[in-house]
Amino acid sequence: MKTKINGTNGKIISLATSLGVCLALYICLVSSLTAALLILALGLGLIIYGERKDSIEQVYLSVEKNKPIVLGIIVLFVLVLPFLLHKNNYLLHVVVMAGIYAIVALGLNFQVGSTGMVNFAPAALFGAGAYVSAIAAVKFGISPWLGILLGMVGAALLGLIFGFPALKTRGYYLSLVTIALQIIFTQMIVNTAWLGGPNGIPGIPPYELAGFSFKQSLKILGLTIPYQINYIYLTFIFLGLTALAASRLYTSRTGLAWNAIEQDEIVAATQGINLTKEKLLAFALGAAFAGVAGALYAHYTSFIGYEDFDFSKSLILICMVLLGGMDNVSGVTLGAILLTIIDEKLRDFADYRMLMYSVILITILITRSQGLLPKRTRKYKEKSTGMPCVGQTVTMGGESSGSLKN
Amino acid sequence: MEVLRTEALTINFGGLKAVNEVDFVIGDEVVGLIGPNGSGKTTFLNLVSGIYRATSGHVHFMQEDITDCAPHEVRSKGIARTFQTNRLCLNLSVLDNMLLGLHSRQKSTWWQAIFQPSRCQQELEDNIERCFEVLAHFNPELIDKRYEPVSKIPLIDRRRIEIARAIVGEPKLLLLDEPTAGLNTEETMEMIDDIGRLRESKMKVSIIIIEHDMAVISRISQRVVVLNAGRKIAEGTFEEVSQNEEVRTAYLGG
Ligand SMILES: Nc1ncnc2c1ncn2[C@@H]1O[C@H](COP(=O)(O)OP(=O)(O)OP(=O)(O)O)[C@@H](O)[C@H]1O
Ligand SMILES: [Mg+2]
Repeated sequence: MKTKINGTNGKIISLATSLGVCLALYICLVSSLTAALLILALGLGLIIYGERKDSIEQVYLSVEKNKPIVLGIIVLFVLVLPFLLHKNNYLLHVVVMAGIYAIVALGLNFQVGSTGMVNFAPAALFGAGAYVSAIAAVKFGISPWLGILLGMVGAALLGLIFGFPALKTRGYYLSLVTIALQIIFTQMIVNTAWLGGPNGIPGIPPYELAGFSFKQSLKILGLTIPYQINYIYLTFIFLGLTALAASRLYTSRTGLAWNAIEQDEIVAATQGINLTKEKLLAFALGAAFAGVAGALYAHYTSFIGYEDFDFSKSLILICMVLLGGMDNVSGVTLGAILLTIIDEKLRDFADYRMLMYSVILITILITRSQGLLPKRTRKYKEKSTGMPCVGQTVTMGGESSGSLKN
Repeated sequence: MEVLRTEALTINFGGLKAVNEVDFVIGDEVVGLIGPNGSGKTTFLNLVSGIYRATSGHVHFMQEDITDCAPHEVRSKGIARTFQTNRLCLNLSVLDNMLLGLHSRQKSTWWQAIFQPSRCQQELEDNIERCFEVLAHFNPELIDKRYEPVSKIPLIDRRRIEIARAIVGEPKLLLLDEPTAGLNTEETMEMIDDIGRLRESKMKVSIIIIEHDMAVISRISQRVVVLNAGRKIAEGTFEEVSQNEEVRTAYLGG
């Protein structure tokens, strides 16, 4: 460390960082694919430069120290965003989807990033939340608000079931088992008439608050803003809550236990960590996140079908975690938002969409296997100093290059 | 006071009896476990710590049968261990490795982590203090390096951290599998002193130590148990054991 960060300096750094990230995301959103990729490359360049100069840790520290500033900027950005985009329903829709996928990715990260268990079925867990909440509303007239809770519990239970193979298998075997579970899930939906079968479930009611339907557009200051604005706010409130929960778990005893399991199961067990309990917990909690996101998705789109939750969706979700940076809450959130935007921009390519998508991903993962914001060593608030002190970014995590951790 | 007792402890790997009807007792003392390569020393520790399941025989710890306990249960009951090939979580920081050693003594749950963070913070701060105390016992410099990943720490300090991680949770029994492997003579003596001083501190920990270096064994252990081809062939003070005919041939022939 060459310079010690003092108060004002830290404030400026955190202000600049949060503004920069918000601005970059905004430009990615509104501009063409080429521009978005350029921004991504530029951002990555900055991160790598920061790591070389050892200043990335200062940025992390400033951000941690000045959380109110950073959160303030982000909240402001999300509040203002719908007004900037009010003429473009489609972009507003992309923002909602980015928020929803970010919640799923944060949950998936518990398994893939923290605990090192591959899970190729996150879309099934996401779908479980969506179907539970949708069926509850359409067939039983249960309030969509309660549906969020039901979707969360339903997905968590399915997550527990999905977690059982992880107790016995790892690596390739676990990959195969979770792929199979994903396929079973899709097939089960297609073949169950009660769940709408191949036709899906139409007419899912929107959320309502004191007589105000979320499908109604908002009129503020003479501007008419499409109904997506309601869902942007709703989704990002949930994203905020889940991100908070995820970062609290990360610094907790549970998060540390998950990391220990990822590193060495025998060592973890001999430190008193109950492998069965912790692995199932990583699946159930992650699935609960996916369930919440699924419920939001169902009542947002008002129609769900099996193809929203199939294997290719699972792959995209895994890529979000990989691209963002495993076990880094900000990284995963950023990765999910970026990939949602890029994925939507690729719609112009129609048939070549998946191909382009893969090319972009392969390029990113070859040049930067550890993701945008890689895993760091934890900093804790200590008794005497009161503030975390300077640590280091773990560089060796990248040795496992591109490939999935088993 | 008897801390650990095994009765006719046996494990079969295919046809090989890696540990064969071993009766072993340890009280409040340091017991050296020696024997030629492949005589079953590490396997014995794996049986005690629950990593391997015994084919037959029993393990009693503080009057309780723990033969069928899983590794994490054994740890929670108060048996901690280190590994022959230093096994730390290389990606994690020095402090995180230490905190892992306190896992079984922490009470906060995932639920509290999300909904009662201030309570967890309290526990965490106390735990960090505790980790610093133990690190200071081995090497105070490690406290300054607490946020560095262990992969950047030299071998001797890694060995120290591994023992510190085992001891931080105040176990009643500590199992050390060749804690000085890979260290030079000077470092070895330093390490042995550190281990010896553990017994002088307030926590009363019994230690089973596996060692190839006889100078180390004679210096640190009150009693020695000798294994050969999975069987216990002798036990007693270091002098008694080193006079034993069978032990001599085992080492020369082995
Ligand atoms: N999991 C296992 N499966 C099969 N055989 C095993 C297993 N673990 C140990 N063995 C065998 O058991 C015997 C005892 O091994 P162990 O590692 O306990 O010896 P040791 O006394 O610790 O030797 P060293 O001094 O070399 O560390 C060896 O022959 C070994 O090959
Ligand atoms: Mg051995």
